[in-house]
Amino acid sequence: MHSCNRIMATVQEKLITPIAGGASEGPRNKVTVVGVGQVGMACAISILLRELPDELALVDVVEDRLKGEMMDLQHGSLFLKTPKIVADKDYTVTAGSRIVIVTAGVRQQEGESRLNLVQRNVNIFKHIIPQIVKHSPNCILVVVSNPVDIMTYVTWKLSGLPKHRVIGSGCNLDSARFRYLMAEKLSVHPTSFHGWILGEHGDSSVPVWSGANVAGVNLQTLNPDIGTDQDKEGWKETHKMVVDSAYEVIKLKGYTNWAIGMSVADLTESLTKNLSRIHPVSTMVKGMYGINEDVYLSLPCVLNNSGVSSVINMTLNAEEVAKLKKSADTLWGIQKDLKDL
Amino acid sequence: MATVKDKLIQEVKPGEPVVAGAKVTIVGVGQVGMACAISVLQSNVADDVTLIDVMKDKLKGEVMDLQHGSLFLKSTITAAEDYSETANSKLCIITAGVRQKEGESRLNLVQRNVEVFKHIIPNLAKYSPDAVLLVVSNPVDILTYVAWKLSGFPSHRVIGSGTNLDSARFRFLIGEKLKINSSSVHGYIIGEHGDSSVPVWSGTNVAGVTLQSLNPNLDTENDPEEWKKIHKQVVESAYEVIRLKGYTSWAIGLSVSTLAQSILKNLQIVHPVSCLVKDLHGIKEDVFLSLPCVLGSSGVCGVLKQPLKESETTHLKKSSETLWAVQKELKL
Repeated sequence: MHSCNRIMATVQEKLITPIAGGASEGPRNKVTVVGVGQVGMACAISILLRELPDELALVDVVEDRLKGEMMDLQHGSLFLKTPKIVADKDYTVTAGSRIVIVTAGVRQQEGESRLNLVQRNVNIFKHIIPQIVKHSPNCILVVVSNPVDIMTYVTWKLSGLPKHRVIGSGCNLDSARFRYLMAEKLSVHPTSFHGWILGEHGDSSVPVWSGANVAGVNLQTLNPDIGTDQDKEGWKETHKMVVDSAYEVIKLKGYTNWAIGMSVADLTESLTKNLSRIHPVSTMVKGMYGINEDVYLSLPCVLNNSGVSSVINMTLNAEEVAKLKKSADTLWGIQKDLKDL
Repeated sequence: MATVKDKLIQEVKPGEPVVAGAKVTIVGVGQVGMACAISVLQSNVADDVTLIDVMKDKLKGEVMDLQHGSLFLKSTITAAEDYSETANSKLCIITAGVRQKEGESRLNLVQRNVEVFKHIIPNLAKYSPDAVLLVVSNPVDILTYVAWKLSGFPSHRVIGSGTNLDSARFRFLIGEKLKINSSSVHGYIIGEHGDSSVPVWSGTNVAGVTLQSLNPNLDTENDPEEWKKIHKQVVESAYEVIRLKGYTSWAIGLSVSTLAQSILKNLQIVHPVSCLVKDLHGIKEDVFLSLPCVLGSSGVCGVLKQPLKESETTHLKKSSETLWAVQKELKL
C-alpha cells in the first residue's frame, strides 16, 4: 500500500483556473506621492477619486504614519479603481512611476513667506530627487513643496531630467482660486470664468486682466480700469484675496490641503490621459519675455504625457512683463546662493 | 454706472437655491467629517454640501479650502453659522463627537458622545424633518439608537455606518488572499461594529461559489489556511491604523460616500449598515445592529432575510444584550 502525502489544495487553487499565467505586467499609470502630510494625502485621495492610476505608491521618512496612511487607503479599495496601493521609506517601491508628485518638506508657518522655507527644503530634496529618478528615469516630476518655483528649479537641477519633464504646481491653485472668486462675483460657475494668474506663486503673482473673459467677452473691454487702482468696482481686490487666501486658511485651520490636492489631481489627469489641456504651471522660462536666468515661473502650458509639450505665448502688457522679470531676478537672487546643486 | 456684471450678462431668471435638490449636511469637520466631505464632493452626488461644527475657525477654514477647489467640483459648499442653514437636507451625516483613543474600546466613548448628540440631533430633526440621518460617530450602534430616540424619526430613516467599513475591509483582505478585486468578493460582516462583529462565512462567495463549500473548515481553528484570521485582522484594523497614524479617515470617508450615493439616488443597493433589529433574528430589544439593508431615498427600504447559523444568531443576540445593558443606563 502506498502512503500518499497528499497536499490539500487551497481555496484559491480549487476556485480558480489560471489562464494567462506568469507574473502580470507592470503598471501603466503608476503615480507616486512623496510626503504623506496633509498635502500629500489630499493629492493621493483626489487622484484616487478621479480613478487615474493603476498603482499608487507613497513614500515618507515617518514609517508609522506612512504605513497607517497606506492601510487606511487600502481599506477603501472596494470603493476605488486602483488595485495596488503600496508604501515604503525605501524608494524601490516607486519604481516604474509615470508621475511623481513631490510634497515633502516643511510646512509654511503662519505669517511665514514662502521664500523663507528655501534652504530647509533644499536639503531634504538632495536626498529625495536622485532616488526618484534612479527608480523612474522616464517619469514626469510635479513639484508642490514651497517655495514652489525655486523648489522646481532645485528639482530640475538635482534630477538631470529635461526641463519639459519637471513641472511646478505653481499658479495652478492661484488661478483656480481666482476663477472661483471672480465667478462668485459674476454669478457664474468657475469653469465659465476664464482668467490666468501667472509668474511667481505667491505674493508677487501676476493676474493677467487683459485676458479675463466669460464666453469670450473680454472684461477689460467692458471696464478698461479693471485691475487698476482707479477701478470703481475694485476688481483688483480679488487678486489680493487670492494672494491672502493661503495665509487666511492657514490661520483658520492650520494648513491648506483640499484645494491644492484637487488642483494637483487635475494636472495629473492631463498628464496621464495625454489631454493637452492648458494649465498655468511653473516651467523653465529662460529665453521668454526677456528673462535670461534659469528660473521657473508659471505660464500657460500645454500638458500631456510628455510633460510640458508647449507654452502659450500669452500677450502681456509692459507692466506684466516687468513683474515677471522682477520675479525672475528675485528668484535668481536666492537660487545663485544655493549650495551643492 | 453699469457694472461689468450688468454689461456682461442679460439676467433672465436667477436660479433659486436648490430646495428639491440633493442637499447633504455633514456635522463635524474633524478628519472623518472632512474625508466624508471630500469623497461626497468628488463623487458629484450632492448639489449642496453644508458643513457645521462648534469650532468656528476650523469650520470656516475647511470650507474656504474646499471652496477654493470649486473649479474642480459640481456642488456648492456652505459653512453653516447655525442649524437653520442645514434646513431641507436630504441626508445628514453625523461624525461629531470625541475620537476613539489608542486602545480605547468603542463602548467607553458612550456617555461623552451622548451629551454631544443631545445638542445636535434635535436641531437636525427640527430643520430637516424628512431627512435620513446617517450616524458615523462611535460607538456607532449605540449612538444610532441615541439619534433615533432624540430625533423622533421613524426607524427606517436613522442608520448607522455600522459594519459597512468592516465588510469593505473583509472583502479587501479576502481579495488580497485570492488575488481578486475586492468588488468581486462578496461577503458580509454583520452585527456590532467592532470587536464582536460577525463574519457570515456561509454566504461569502466569488462568482456564486461559496468559499466554505471549497473549505468546510474555514470558520474554525482547524483550518491550515487560517481564513478565520481575516476576521480578526478586520477587527484589529482600526486599532492598528490609529496606532500608526493617530486616527482613521480615508476608508470610512469612502464608505460613507457610497452610502450617501445609494440614499440620494434611491439606488436600492444592499449595504451592511446599522438598523433597528428588534423582531429580527429573535432579538427582543430596541437595538441597532448591522444587517444587509436595501438603501434608498427613504433610508432602509428593506432588510435581507439572511439565513444564519445558530452560532451566528446567538452571537447577534449576545451583542444585542450587551448594547441594551449600556443603553438602558443612558440619560437621554
